[in-house]
Amino acid sequence: MSAATAAISEQAPIPEDNSHPAQAKPALRDEGAKLGFRLTLPAQILVLFIALFPLLMQLYISLTDWSPLSGLGWWSAWSLWNNFANYTDLAADARFWSALKRTAIVMIVCVPAEFLLGLALATLFADEFPGKRIFYSILLMPMMVVPAVAGYMFFMLFQSGGPVNDILSALSGFPVTIAWLSDPTLALIAVMLADIWQWTPLMFLILLAGLVGVPEDQIKAATLLGANPWQRFVTIVLPKMKTIIIIALAIRVIENFKIFDTLYIMTGGGPGVATETISVYIYKLTTQDLIWGYVAAIALAILIVLSIAAVFAMKRMARAREVSA
Amino acid sequence: MSAIHLQNLVKKFSDFTALKTMDLAIADGEFMALLGPSGCGKSTTMNMIAGMEEPTSGKILFGERDMEGVPMARRGVGFVFQNYAIFSHMSVRQNLAYGPKMRGAPKAEIDRRVGAIAEMLQLTPLLDRKADRLSVNILQRVAIGRSAIMEPAIFLLDEPLSNVDAAFRAVMRTELKQLQRQFRQTMVYVTHDQLEAMTMADRIAVMDHGVLQQVGTPLEVYNNPANVFVARFIGAPGMNLLRGRPAESDRGLVIDLGPLGVTPPLPAEIADAVRGAPGDVLYGFRPEQVTLAEGGRGLSLPVTFVERIGARTIVHLGQGESAVKAVFDNDVGLAIGLTAVVAPAVHSVRVFDAGTGRAIKAGG
Ligand SMILES: Nc1ncnc2c1ncn2[C@@H]1O[C@H](COP(=O)(O)OP(=O)(O)O)[C@@H](O)[C@H]1O
Ligand SMILES: [Mg+2]
Repeated sequence: MSAATAAISEQAPIPEDNSHPAQAKPALRDEGAKLGFRLTLPAQILVLFIALFPLLMQLYISLTDWSPLSGLGWWSAWSLWNNFANYTDLAADARFWSALKRTAIVMIVCVPAEFLLGLALATLFADEFPGKRIFYSILLMPMMVVPAVAGYMFFMLFQSGGPVNDILSALSGFPVTIAWLSDPTLALIAVMLADIWQWTPLMFLILLAGLVGVPEDQIKAATLLGANPWQRFVTIVLPKMKTIIIIALAIRVIENFKIFDTLYIMTGGGPGVATETISVYIYKLTTQDLIWGYVAAIALAILIVLSIAAVFAMKRMARAREVSA
Repeated sequence: MSAIHLQNLVKKFSDFTALKTMDLAIADGEFMALLGPSGCGKSTTMNMIAGMEEPTSGKILFGERDMEGVPMARRGVGFVFQNYAIFSHMSVRQNLAYGPKMRGAPKAEIDRRVGAIAEMLQLTPLLDRKADRLSVNILQRVAIGRSAIMEPAIFLLDEPLSNVDAAFRAVMRTELKQLQRQFRQTMVYVTHDQLEAMTMADRIAVMDHGVLQQVGTPLEVYNNPANVFVARFIGAPGMNLLRGRPAESDRGLVIDLGPLGVTPPLPAEIADAVRGAPGDVLYGFRPEQVTLAEGGRGLSLPVTFVERIGARTIVHLGQGESAVKAVFDNDVGLAIGLTAVVAPAVHSVRVFDAGTGRAIKAGG
């Protein structure tokens, strides 16, 4: 168009970051930092102690054969030093690796299922419909049920004479008497269903918060430009929800990795070891086998793996935020 | 095809009526400005034309076609939102390409169209920039480009320039007008800024409190306001309105303004109409059409304030009911405390019914 517009094409100056006004006076800032350090020192020491002490204690014990039955205080565990045997045992512990694999399977099934269900429900609840408030309350209830109670509930549901089989009988017309919790595969499925029931609401809640935050006028603009509902969802809604989706998935992945309470009450890890996840295995080693040195080694190994994963996820999250801000 | 007819259009939000029976015919290829103060129902009208809101009653026709039940995606309107609604997670290029892409245009064609529109709006160097890092001025162009690329027959713009800076606004006024001349779309332009409406529109629809006050060319609306609201709203400053009572004199019909004395005789054309009007009237004249009557006949008023705005000087005279503004050249020798005798140009005088606020027109 006109020549006058050439001048406008350049970018507006990006506002400078003024959030650190003290940077202008380094001397003053150093003073402030020193005072701040001194004031927070007691708290820092406390936090360091809380975080570091158990870790160091764990590391120490994990290098020994110490157990509460050894008759020694944990601090004298050095006399039971075993030359890293716990770690070499761990590498060769088939039961550990199969528990890890099972935990991974549960995670790979449950987290995506919870995510997709939660997203579908959130999409539904982003619009108005009659009875929305009541359904909303009902939907959030599983999250509030004490896991132990949920465990007993599902234990009862999946008995061979329980309601699940009754419903299947009614639907199929044949008497169904599946022994859910005694079949290795079905028990794992039952446990996963319980987890999905219990944790989809949390996913739903987080995703709904993200969904209502998507600017409505951008959705209208997309509609006017001819995007159909699916295209709008993929091109506008999902990209805008990226950060919150990553957060929701991260929370559930971490939580699901530690799956224990409901599952343990339903199956106790059985039949056999069919539903034995990492947490159940550790629990058994701690309370039944009482080999605490070995438990410490497992816990430490998992902590390290999870920490690496968390750092990685956090980096990705920070980058996503940068991109979508 | 792309003429727009609004027939008895009404919009209520629960018990609040945002728009009261709007009737408006916008011709194919016309640039129509909807002008009015904030909250008068301009956006509501636009949103109904675009299909984002359902009218409570009344009809919207595009050409002959009733738009009731036609979803917004199929109305073929371009819409520029007041806050632009740019897809902030995309680049400028992705924003511009969005419409054609969603409608499944081939890649080569999308590239060509994006290139052309970017060239026209001087966005080419910015194509690969993220939209969230751009200034308002640029966002505004992207918003126009994103709609214009669809070559809509009807283009709706909701206060597109209200957020940009003054210098850019002047540039965009010219450009939008050129854009519309080039493509001949039917353009509906919402604004609360009369300068934008006056400079760009073929016709202006002035609205207030959900009621259409007057439709006309910018000059019609300026010269012959249909009522007191339009008279005061159009023009900067708006028309002077003084309350008085018609009175016969030996020179013809005059208005007795009470303490301000009597006006010069009314032009013969409107004198007859005013004679037929019951009760008090408002004597109106534009501040720009006032001369200093040195020692002669006119309204004698104390100067209360002098506003110098560069080329012009706005002199405030009198107070309260008899407040009058007059615009003079910047060398006018008036100062606070002096008394000025001002005379409105006879041809510029308009008279309004004080009761209804309507203009009293010759022959009507
Ligand atoms: N969705 C809505 N619900 C209730 N009132 C609304 C809604 N949209 C607009 N209004 C009201 O209708 C009136 C006209 O609004 P609008 O058309 O946006 O005015 P404007 O002329 O400033 O664009 C305003 O008083 C506004 O508060
Ligand atoms: Mg508005």
